[in-house]
Amino acid sequence: MTKMFSPIIKIAKYTLSDEVRQKSFIVMFVICALFIFLIRSCYQGNYIVNGQALNAEAVIRGMSKVTFHFIAAGVMFLAALLSMRVFRRDRDDGTQSCILSKPITRWQYVAGKIIGLWILSTIFMFILHSVVFIITSINMQVVMPEYLIASLLCSFNLLFVIVIVLLLSLLMPDIVAFLCVMGIGIIGFVADGIFAISHSQMAQVMIQQNGSQSDMTMWKAVYYLWPKLAGTQQFASSLIGSEGFQGFVSIYPLINVLIYVLILGTLLFRRFRNEDII
Amino acid sequence: MIELNSPTKRYGSLVAVDNVSFSIKAGEYFALLGPNGAGKTTIVKMLLDFTKPTTGSLSINGLPSTDAASRTSIGYLSENHHIPSYLSGWQYLQRCAELLDISRSDAIDQCRRIVELIGMQGREDTKVNTYSKGMIQRFGLGAALIGNPKLLILDEPTAGLDPIGIREIRQLLESLKDQGLTIFLNSHLLSEVEKICDNAAIINRGKLLVKDKISAIVKDGDTLEDVFVRLVKG
Repeated sequence: MTKMFSPIIKIAKYTLSDEVRQKSFIVMFVICALFIFLIRSCYQGNYIVNGQALNAEAVIRGMSKVTFHFIAAGVMFLAALLSMRVFRRDRDDGTQSCILSKPITRWQYVAGKIIGLWILSTIFMFILHSVVFIITSINMQVVMPEYLIASLLCSFNLLFVIVIVLLLSLLMPDIVAFLCVMGIGIIGFVADGIFAISHSQMAQVMIQQNGSQSDMTMWKAVYYLWPKLAGTQQFASSLIGSEGFQGFVSIYPLINVLIYVLILGTLLFRRFRNEDII
Repeated sequence: MIELNSPTKRYGSLVAVDNVSFSIKAGEYFALLGPNGAGKTTIVKMLLDFTKPTTGSLSINGLPSTDAASRTSIGYLSENHHIPSYLSGWQYLQRCAELLDISRSDAIDQCRRIVELIGMQGREDTKVNTYSKGMIQRFGLGAALIGNPKLLILDEPTAGLDPIGIREIRQLLESLKDQGLTIFLNSHLLSEVEKICDNAAIINRGKLLVKDKISAIVKDGDTLEDVFVRLVKG
């Protein structure tokens, strides 16, 4: 068993150390550091609107949620950016042929790559969330340990992004694979927004008044089957607020993403098994 | 040690390797010769399971080439070898040793010995992007020697090297003869092959033309080059 996992751990370790040297990683790291530097001032002072002091804790919780979503979405972008060139870079710099000429199977190689990228992006996201957590804790004496748990839950989104980008990068040019995944993410976010609006009281009244009871079954099916990245993020951020757990409806996005990871992961392993190594 | 059981490789309508069968015994210095595009690299790729044969099979030490265990004691140097530019030669050798599950102290000992063998003492700690092509090729050969492999598969080890580099690689390979290694050398540098190898096979357009001892292929008064040109041109 140890023998089986030993190459995976080593490849994951090399992936980690190789990726932090990439320009895209350094650029994103600087952008995120700037972002954190800019938002830190938002957590200082009192909040007064029209002369009335607001509940600071509520404001901070709200703002922390916004920051949480920004960071989670930003790191997903970074994970896609890092993943899209992994196979090509390994092919070009001889890493792939070096590893696979040893008694290491292809699934071990792919698993090592996925795990390395996943750990790197998760650590990156966790550090950024931790910084916000620390700023909040120090400046406002509001401790939100659930913030960090929510961060870890969002790492499943990163896993999804990594697996799908790696799979698509075997089937199409890297940049197209990256754009496809960004498209999937954006459509998911927009669809969730529309879904939330359509379930608001005002929208429900308008629908009833217009009598537009057209058959939406197909759209609903597409909506529920679409990768629920925004939903998972929403579920994770619900831990920060006091929205409460709504059973299966709350946890469905996470299950949806995990099922996608399993299916896409299987396809990735099958596809790479037949890939010619150059 | 190596068995090719009629593997054929097709890329669409192009037949890269056509029903080639031969075997190589342990301890042989074997050269696979052929013009560019003859199918030499495809055979190497099939041996390492980098590409699957369309039909037929290949085996190493009795294990099918599709089994990762068949690559247990193989050292491989690819044509136009590359090393990640941000690593040093030493780091690269260490990585290769680590991938073979060699203990840290053993890896350090082996890497030291190999750096000496490939004549790169004093340069092993500088980054690969400062190396010449010949130096990268030497480190590639060094990496192939890690773990004391029983079989070395060398795909055009002298490609792109200047005459001095070619000579150095040849001398290095000759010095390994005493260690009982089996060498599968893929090359079109006939004069070098003639000096190093005992056995050879010549292929053209994916078909095996001849496989024998070099002394049997080259008759009196001929050179390997004469025989090669005659066979390839038909």
